[in-house]
Amino acid sequence: MIPRFGKYVIKRGIILFLTVIVATYITVLIANMGGYVDEIIKSDLYLSISQSIRQNPAYKALNETQIKELINAIYTNELKKIGFDKPFIYRSISYLRDALSLSLGRALFISSDSGSKNVRIIILERLPNTVFLFTTTQLLLFFIGLFTGLFLARRYGSFLDKLSVLFAPLSSMPGWFYGIFLILIFASFLRLLPYGGMVDVPPPSNRFDYALSVLKHMILPVMSWLIAYTPINVYVRRTFFLMFSSEDYVELAKAKGLPESLIQRRYILRPTLPPIITDFSLTLIGSWMGAIITETVFNWPGIGSLFYQVSVMFDSPVLIGLVVIYAYLLALTVFALEFVYAILDPRIKAGGT
Amino acid sequence: MKIKTGILAIVLLASLFSSLLSTSIPVSIAQAPPKGPWVDEVDFFVETDEAKVVDMLMKNEMQVYFRDTRDPGLFRTIKASPDLWYVTSYGLYFELTFNPVGPEFPATGKLNPFAVPRIREAVNYLVNRKYIVDEIMAGMAVPRYTCLTPAFPDYARYADTIMEIERKYSYDFDKAREIITEEMIKLGAGLVGGKWYYKGEPVTIIFLIRVEDQRRAIGDYVASQLEKLGFTVDRQYKTSREASPIWIRGNPADGRFHIYTGGWITTLVSRDESDNFGFFYTPRGGMGPLWSAYTPSPEFDYVAGRLWARDFTTIEERNELMEKALELSMEDSVRVWLISQVAPWPARKEISLTYDLAAGFSGARLWPYTIRYVDQVGGTVKIASSDILVDPVNPVGGSNWIYDAMYYRATSDPAVIPDPFTGLYWPQRVEKAEVYALEGLPIAVTLDWVSLNFVENITVPTDAWYDWDAEKQEIVYAPPGTTAKTKTVVYYDDSLFDIVFHDGSKFSLADIVFSYILTFDRAKPESPVYDESYVPVFEAFKEYFKGFRIISERPLVIEYYSDALYLDAEQIAASAASAFYIDYAYGPGPWHTVAIGWLAEAGNKLAFSADKAEMLKVEWMNYIAGPSLKILSDYLTKAIDEKFIPYENVLGKYVTEAEALERYNNLKAWYESKGNFLVGAGPFYLDRVDPTARIVVLKAYREFVDTADKWLRFSKPMIPEVKIVSAPTITPGLTAEVDVSVTFEGQPYRIDDIYYIKYIVKSPTVTLTGVAEPVEDGMWRITLRPEETSMLTAGTLSIDVLAVSKLVGMPVSTTGTATVMSVTEFLMDELAKVRADYETRIASLSSEIEELRSEVDSLRGTINTLTSVTALAVVIAIIAIAVSFTRKK
Repeated sequence: MIPRFGKYVIKRGIILFLTVIVATYITVLIANMGGYVDEIIKSDLYLSISQSIRQNPAYKALNETQIKELINAIYTNELKKIGFDKPFIYRSISYLRDALSLSLGRALFISSDSGSKNVRIIILERLPNTVFLFTTTQLLLFFIGLFTGLFLARRYGSFLDKLSVLFAPLSSMPGWFYGIFLILIFASFLRLLPYGGMVDVPPPSNRFDYALSVLKHMILPVMSWLIAYTPINVYVRRTFFLMFSSEDYVELAKAKGLPESLIQRRYILRPTLPPIITDFSLTLIGSWMGAIITETVFNWPGIGSLFYQVSVMFDSPVLIGLVVIYAYLLALTVFALEFVYAILDPRIKAGGT
Repeated sequence: MKIKTGILAIVLLASLFSSLLSTSIPVSIAQAPPKGPWVDEVDFFVETDEAKVVDMLMKNEMQVYFRDTRDPGLFRTIKASPDLWYVTSYGLYFELTFNPVGPEFPATGKLNPFAVPRIREAVNYLVNRKYIVDEIMAGMAVPRYTCLTPAFPDYARYADTIMEIERKYSYDFDKAREIITEEMIKLGAGLVGGKWYYKGEPVTIIFLIRVEDQRRAIGDYVASQLEKLGFTVDRQYKTSREASPIWIRGNPADGRFHIYTGGWITTLVSRDESDNFGFFYTPRGGMGPLWSAYTPSPEFDYVAGRLWARDFTTIEERNELMEKALELSMEDSVRVWLISQVAPWPARKEISLTYDLAAGFSGARLWPYTIRYVDQVGGTVKIASSDILVDPVNPVGGSNWIYDAMYYRATSDPAVIPDPFTGLYWPQRVEKAEVYALEGLPIAVTLDWVSLNFVENITVPTDAWYDWDAEKQEIVYAPPGTTAKTKTVVYYDDSLFDIVFHDGSKFSLADIVFSYILTFDRAKPESPVYDESYVPVFEAFKEYFKGFRIISERPLVIEYYSDALYLDAEQIAASAASAFYIDYAYGPGPWHTVAIGWLAEAGNKLAFSADKAEMLKVEWMNYIAGPSLKILSDYLTKAIDEKFIPYENVLGKYVTEAEALERYNNLKAWYESKGNFLVGAGPFYLDRVDPTARIVVLKAYREFVDTADKWLRFSKPMIPEVKIVSAPTITPGLTAEVDVSVTFEGQPYRIDDIYYIKYIVKSPTVTLTGVAEPVEDGMWRITLRPEETSMLTAGTLSIDVLAVSKLVGMPVSTTGTATVMSVTEFLMDELAKVRADYETRIASLSSEIEELRSEVDSLRGTINTLTSVTALAVVIAIIAIAVSFTRKK
């Protein structure tokens, strides 16, 4: 007999896995425009091969037939190399299999920075850079928002509270927008911080100096996001806590004369934890996808710029690889959150009706 | 206390002395070129934001940008900055590609006006190229009318014909309207309310407009011009990838487009563009259904075909064909050329380096040899590019991206180096070459390191290497009776055997022999390094390769037999000298470093080419980073353990086990020190690669054979400055002379360095063309003979002068005016001159008479005075005599 909780876990697991399969296959179809990308890639390949043959002085001596044969032979090889000698439907299943098994396959066009065609290596080389920058930023944003929001919620109507409301519209501008100004001020004008990149040029040979150099290069991108997103984060958290602060049970606790810290911890923070943890988890996962424009502005070699590069180049395996990793992480997080909710909130029962 | 003060004084003096010393060192060594490059280090990194790049250059955060900037605003900033300079390249050009099917599309029955050549030709009048250059390209382009690239040698050769074409097809909207209206009516279309209709429907032009660059604005402009003529234009804005399935692979008969805004790129100075006519206008281009739809006129097809096949025996014959093709291509106009982009490449003023007229800084093979701080030896140069570390690097089948080639080429030293301004090859490790070609082949020679001889026949000797037997592991010799169209004898320089690779290994003949065998072995199915994807390239090579023979081992002299034909003997010699040299297609290749990769590929752990890597599902071999390094390192250990000599049956004659071991140990030490396997003999070595941060560090190789000043003359292209010295007045029937000065930076341009100076004199009645004659260095003279001037009518005429230098492929022109007088005017002028002359003389005579009169008057006064004095003296004398007589008495 499988206990009710076990059944629930299996059922949820299966549903989430099916969701991942469907989402991945939809990604495969979208990334390939239902097979239309084949046409685009074939045209591009033929054009670039013909151009390179024509421009190579070594082939100037070949006659018309020889050149055509050479172009066609190279073109056929190239198609074979990227698997385009097989129909799209066959390849779509192959992409799906590689994605679901997390082997991720091989990139069509791009190589990793170290020269590998393995999609897993391509992603894993960029992921630490993104995690290092954006996860740090998101963690900072999260905790600043959480504690400042709580702090302001307790001082509703104070000067600081009003100030936070006043600053909230600053977040209407994205992080990269502030990034440009920060570069102008701190890199171009004051010459204090670097224009971008991840490390000094040439990179320090000493590991400690290297780490310091990376930290120095992180300052401006982190600052840009903090300036852009702290006001709205604080404002949202403050409002969120304010709503919970006016619940009847909080009022009752206050009326009972319970200490303020106990009210905050037990009557405000605990019931709000499930949505906060959900938000935190999803933000954390989201940060691993990087930020296309911010990475471009700061020339930071992360997942965001990789996303952009492979989208433009129609490198389906890498695109699918990035999405499937996100899909898996999302599914696992959602799955885990179900249990976290049950632990944090006694009102929720697993599989209960 | 005194001691302390004394110490302080000594320290201060020492620091003062050391500061003086440190500031004086660069000055003192500035004049002595070091071995290897001028600078100590070059650091490459990525920066894609052009605005940031310009700011970083101005703030000295970097010194050179290895990418052209295309933003007009930034170009203005670069031009205005006192700290920056820039060069320009001509690699990118735009045109209008027409769909020639019709006049009705079979699939839709809709009208395609551009099926009519005369309508296509009229589009030349319809587009104002100057407007496109000035307003859309913001001056960063030059108008283009033909398929020959401005700045390339063929453009220079036919510059006068092209100038005529440019004049003939200049913007004339009314003429375009007239021709198109005439042809549209012939097609059965009607103009109703200012709109063209065909079979009751508006004539709609489907225009594929590319959106990524200025072609969007160009497309809009051309569409507006067509709308002004009464066409309805369906502007379809598309990216390259969206448009290519329609125009490249789509069937033009489906009528999915009428016009496409085409763009083409050239990455090196092409010496011979004669096949452009076949490629762009006839089915010979063979790039898909659109090309198959081309139906040039029989005459044009014939001419283009002959040029494509190089079916001519003399340069004069080629000239005739080219000039004809230029004219006919305009009549065909299945492509209407619009502009050639002039792309600026910025750098800081204190940096000097060579650039390529087609490919800017990054594409210039000479940049590592010439980059330097002006008046300073040493230092570090930071170079940014828009990308780097794109694909794996290995000498046999690695990355072909310019973003990788720009640094790995610096680690390699080729046998010959292409001239960045003319495309001709110069010797680097070659002393001289003799080219023997069959009589009747249209080959010419320009530079003196190559001698050209024509012979009746060339038979390949039977001891020449011809192929490789991978099964028996032996060289295959040329079969008896093998012939070739050219034979080249290459005499390598003595310095060849002084070459020491970056890891300390010395060059040997084994490097050449290994390269020869590998060229063949990779195409043999029996070989462990057989690569199916290499076969087509090899087959193409084998079509014209006829034999290779080592005549002398030291000094190294080789013979190379080939059927490959090039117009320049230098190109033939370059092919021979480079064929099996240590500078591989994708990086440097001493035999021992390639042998490690050979072992890895033979073991199915890595593959040289991307295709084979894909087939084997292994990593594409990378000599500088990534998972390949560990595998290569393991195979290096294996090679050391086994004292591995590849192709030992043959190579064993050129290398001993001890020598092989020494090389492998050198490589091991190198890998342990630098962390890569990219070992070459170039002026720089690869010191560090940071794939995560995308940074490559190159350092100066001071054991390099040559000193840094060897290629200094290529720092700057000697583009001549041409000026008409004086605007003469021409008299019909009399000889007229126009002096033209040709200088470079104020100094006279040598007569020997000028290819030709042509002139075009245009008057309302006649156009005179000819060639100027040299007077002295820097001075040329155009002489119009009496029979030529007699054809001119009175008025103003224009003189276009076109100078083409042998040192730079780019022609330079200047325009002046002159006045022609009528005969009556001439006589009147002569009379006036005589009268003026006489009047001057009379005036002069009058003046002289006046002077004489004045002198006579003056004399008369003097005489009067003298007379008075004399009279007075007489009176005084008489009085004195009288007084004396009185006293005696």
